[in-house]
Amino acid sequence: MAQMTFLEAIRETLRQELARDERIIVYGEDVGVRGGVFRVTEGLQAEFGEERVIDSPLAEAAIIGTAIGASVNGLRPIPEIQFADFIFPAMNQIIQEAARMRYRSNNDFEVPIVIRAPFGGGVRGGIYHSQSIEAFFAHVPGMKVVIPSTPYDAKGLLAQSIEDPDPVLFLEHKGLYRSIRGEVPEERYLLPLGKADLKREGKDVTLITYGLMTQLALKAADSLAEEGIQVDVLDLRTIRPFDKEAIFASVKKTGKVLIIHEDNRTGGFGGEISAVIAEEMLFDLDAPIMRLTGPDVPAMGFSPPLEHAFMISAEKIVEEARKLAKF
Amino acid sequence: MAEINAVTAINQALLEMMQVDPRVVLLGEDVGPNGGVFRVSEGLWQQFGDQRVMDTPLAESGIVGSAIGMAIGGLRPIAEIQFMGFLYPALNQIFSHLGRVGQRSAGKFRVPLVVRIPYGGGIRAPEQHADSAEAMLVHTPGLKVVVPSTPYDAKGLLYAAVEDPDPVIFLEPIKLYRLGRMEVPSGRVSVPIGPARVARGGRDVTVVTWGAMNHLAMEAANELAQSSISVEIIDLRTLKPMDTKTIAESVQKTGRAVVLHEAPRTAGLGGEVVASIQDEAFWWLKTPVRRVTAYDVPYPPFAWEDWYMPTKERLVRAIQQALAD
Repeated sequence: MAQMTFLEAIRETLRQELARDERIIVYGEDVGVRGGVFRVTEGLQAEFGEERVIDSPLAEAAIIGTAIGASVNGLRPIPEIQFADFIFPAMNQIIQEAARMRYRSNNDFEVPIVIRAPFGGGVRGGIYHSQSIEAFFAHVPGMKVVIPSTPYDAKGLLAQSIEDPDPVLFLEHKGLYRSIRGEVPEERYLLPLGKADLKREGKDVTLITYGLMTQLALKAADSLAEEGIQVDVLDLRTIRPFDKEAIFASVKKTGKVLIIHEDNRTGGFGGEISAVIAEEMLFDLDAPIMRLTGPDVPAMGFSPPLEHAFMISAEKIVEEARKLAKF
Repeated sequence: MAEINAVTAINQALLEMMQVDPRVVLLGEDVGPNGGVFRVSEGLWQQFGDQRVMDTPLAESGIVGSAIGMAIGGLRPIAEIQFMGFLYPALNQIFSHLGRVGQRSAGKFRVPLVVRIPYGGGIRAPEQHADSAEAMLVHTPGLKVVVPSTPYDAKGLLYAAVEDPDPVIFLEPIKLYRLGRMEVPSGRVSVPIGPARVARGGRDVTVVTWGAMNHLAMEAANELAQSSISVEIIDLRTLKPMDTKTIAESVQKTGRAVVLHEAPRTAGLGGEVVASIQDEAFWWLKTPVRRVTAYDVPYPPFAWEDWYMPTKERLVRAIQQALAD
């Protein structure tokens, strides 16, 4: 089976999907001639032409707005927001139009778009190229939010997002693009949205996370194992909808939970995870639910020490998991 | 002392601050000659003229963006977004600039801007006029977010917001605008940003809420009092920074909590409140914390509003469950 980086897995999926279904178009800032700022769409315009891989103006509201129109009329657009930090000018289109179209039209119209957006920090992106944005969209009825952590998951989840009849926000952590390699089957396969993946099995503490943090949690799990602490690493993979059954099954086993995300703490998605556990699993808990998150300051400084202070690391995860294991 | 409603209290605060401080200016859609769709700025344009009370185009991004510039330039602008459902075109200005200019400039520039937003449902408004998007604003670093639920708090918190050197989002529950009157002194009223208010003391269960839901909580508490159930109601008043200490103290006393809000449930601010109780009062909990919220669907047409919004019956049931476990 082919070994691919996270980035190559996404590119190959886009290529396969463009070849499979002529309704699919790829579309965004610099995705065409240049192949995307991260080279995710490299070669696609040469292969599929300017009608299907389209360079857009620097106008995010227009990118999403036209994608909505195209999708309502039968296409399957995959618009790209160059950096997730740039998505805010398009929020009115996403919240008020894309996410509500099916409901507002009483099922007459649907908006099958997949909005791809590189997000997250740790790559010296500075204050406007490092943000995590998932919590805003996890709160929006009508949206789905997908955040893969491995090349294999990226392919299966992207293909399923394209199959989905409703809008999907597909978030790609920039820190994964070239740092992670893995086996990716050549044939098309689908991974369901709303199903978490238990990436490592333990018994003492549950680590719940998604995206790049999954890789850090797996690294932390290795160090913790050397100290005799065995952890579950539960990768949510999609946060709207999210897999409560998988969370509850793991919490029932360990009784101790550490939720990890890079996004700002207050109002972050960790609060929602914590709340459903607190509501449904209180009597199975042996310790308070803990959160390890980015601080409540804008993400994030360009200066390496500031960036390091903001970002989650395997060391920080180990430290918090140790505290939980002691209960 | 005169008994006034929230609209009059906010109008008075605006009038008084504009009289005292020439840097205070208003801008927004229809805030001038029309006096605002809810009459909150009534009479101010007539008194202060169109240099200080500015009717803007229907362009929310422009309203907030130009107000940020005015604030950096030395004014104390108070921008109005007519309905919260119209906020989204301005979110780039709010998330990327308003919340960040202070930090980005290492404190060289401050943005003393107040964005007033009538919000919430229950008034038979059409789509996009009843949104409750407070969770997004609370999640944004650099913003303070306040929600008064009484005329007195509305006046006091607006004073505090305008006096604050950094941006404050001031949410005004539309349903409460004319729902009750109370005595509010003329002149400066002091209600600090941050502390929650114990709206009703009780010993059996804590209800944490904000905005228009306070009235629902009060109705439920009155009903339950007849069966000798004593409900404590915490009105957060400020959503960010959140007064988790007052929440924790109450839960440590009662051992049981219900969080009530009118925004959709998933990733709403209720999750953060429940998580804070985990952080600070876990060992005192006798039963699971519960959330009573709107459902995870877009705000419905108003004929269905009563099925969407939390009701007294749903809240009473959740409180009874919290007591029964």
